[in-house]
Amino acid sequence: MATHSSGEGKCILLCDDEFHILRAAEFKFRRAGFEVLCAADGIEALERIEERVPDAIVTDCQMPRMNGLELIARLREDERTRRVPILMLTAKGFELAADELCDRFHVAGVVAKPFSPRELLRRVEDLVSTALLNEST
Amino acid sequence: MPLSGGVGIPAAPGEPKGNTTSNMGTAPPRIHVSRWWLLTAAIVMSLVLSIGEAIWLRAGGLGVALIVASHLAGAGCFLAVLLAWRGMASRELCERVRLLASEDLSRLSPQEAGGLSAFAGPTQWEEVVVRLREFVVAAAQKLEDAGQAQASSEIRARRARAERDRLAVILAGLPDPLLVINDYEEIVLANLSAASVFGVDVQQFGSDVQVKVDQSLDCPAAVKLLKDVVRRRTLTQRTAEFSWRDGFGHERWYRVICRNLDVAAESPHGMRGAVAIFNDITVQKAIQRRNAEFVSSVSHEMKTPLSGIKAYVELLVDGDAETPEEREECLEVINGQTDRLQRLIDNILNLARIESGVVDVRKDRHSLNEILEEVHGIVLPQAEQKEIDFQLDLSPMYLGVIADRDLLLQAAINLASNAVKYTPVGGKVVLRSRLAAQEVCFEVEDTGVGLSEEDCQRIFDKFYRVKKDQQMASGTGLGLPLAKYIIEDVHGGRLEVRSLINVGSTFSAVLPGAGAMSE
Repeated sequence: MATHSSGEGKCILLCDDEFHILRAAEFKFRRAGFEVLCAADGIEALERIEERVPDAIVTDCQMPRMNGLELIARLREDERTRRVPILMLTAKGFELAADELCDRFHVAGVVAKPFSPRELLRRVEDLVSTALLNEST
Repeated sequence: MPLSGGVGIPAAPGEPKGNTTSNMGTAPPRIHVSRWWLLTAAIVMSLVLSIGEAIWLRAGGLGVALIVASHLAGAGCFLAVLLAWRGMASRELCERVRLLASEDLSRLSPQEAGGLSAFAGPTQWEEVVVRLREFVVAAAQKLEDAGQAQASSEIRARRARAERDRLAVILAGLPDPLLVINDYEEIVLANLSAASVFGVDVQQFGSDVQVKVDQSLDCPAAVKLLKDVVRRRTLTQRTAEFSWRDGFGHERWYRVICRNLDVAAESPHGMRGAVAIFNDITVQKAIQRRNAEFVSSVSHEMKTPLSGIKAYVELLVDGDAETPEEREECLEVINGQTDRLQRLIDNILNLARIESGVVDVRKDRHSLNEILEEVHGIVLPQAEQKEIDFQLDLSPMYLGVIADRDLLLQAAINLASNAVKYTPVGGKVVLRSRLAAQEVCFEVEDTGVGLSEEDCQRIFDKFYRVKKDQQMASGTGLGLPLAKYIIEDVHGGRLEVRSLINVGSTFSAVLPGAGAMSE
């Protein structure tokens, strides 16, 4: 088994109402050394963020109570989470305009379902390292 | 030949009609006799008056002579006036011209020919007669032609009026709005439908009141298209689709088909401008939108279990699942998600079968409780994810149903799964069975978001999804319609819903019983 430690000391928030998807992604990120916060909808995600601001967020779009777009809008209003890189993980690939999401909500990217946990991990690692680079400069 | 008696020269005033040609050969004696009678009568009357006057005055020979002379002169004047008054000369002329208009010149008597010598020399009268006859015949022909032309014009005018009235009726009955504008972008024709839909004044061709299309038609897309077609003189047909909010605030969609009338302008009664007809495509648009939503929902529903399968397969392939328990968990998820995908495909296929009228139903005697236990097992993981208390409350009796097991299972799964989807985290769902008179019943009761009265009416419509709850869970809008079809149409039962907003809903399925006994 390949053991990763790229996420050592880093925290990621995963938000999806599909338990199995959440579980698979959590499994992958923990193996990579990330600390993983999980939420089943936008409101739960905000509660987790109150506890700790993550280094990156991966969120579904369609969720009960508070959907992904509402969550992102709330995060961008909050000074603490304004610059946190966000990836959107969604089955509504062709219905969401990635460009609009990037421009309006500063979403770093859109990952379409069905997704590869390996690919998702790689994208998050890139985001975190880029964010770190920006902070240091 | 009708010329002489019909449209030929009119008879003189006071003359009897119809026999003007019957006495042509003997007509002059009648005239001469009356003239002589008049002359004789005048002389006799003058003499009688003179004698009477002379006796009364006791006049001498010279006096009598003067009296007679004066009376004779008076009688002559009276006779001249009388003859002039009767128009003897013009009458004779008319008689002769009428004879000229007749075919048979040989019927002209020498006396009549002599009478014409006043107009021509004795040797030229025949040529004059021929010319006069030609002139009269030509004039009569023209008169007849003019009469026929007038009659045919009247017929054409009647036909045109009838055609116009028929077109007006057709246009009025046309359900689609229709507008015609001229080269100056003025509305020259608008039917009743255009008036009722767009509020445009009804116009008929030739109406004095003409308004600019952009002042009367409040549809910028349609106005722009009409103007473009008129200005650019586009020969091909052009179409555009636009939405329009009607008087009740409802959005309606129209496809406007517009064509230039320049081709028609080449005809004698043509005009320049454009004609536009508006097709109401609201229903087609709704179907398109619903189909698009259906495809989107189905695709979303399929991608979700596929995501689980793909992710867990990859975890296994990458060796991330190290322990046997982790590997077991991965395989269980893959299996569960595969079943979920299969159920979705079954739903879609069943719907297709229903719509095509081909449903393969195999009914046998089954225990309702057993079917509901299976449903509980299938939906429980979904409920556990949301920490929903999913209870099974089965009747202690054996409740038999004659049913297609697979179809009834699918209907019950759809109802239970729907309840779990729309019940908030930590809620409660109860799957219950009971005996109701000669029928058996199963219920799915939840503490979910509930349905409005309108939603309760429409919740079994295909593809219908409650708007306010769409973000709460994904769905295709097929589960409940399919359940209703299976319970009511396939099994002869009833599926009903009772609901209160923010309190919860209860779906009750009543099926004909096939015997009940204590278990």
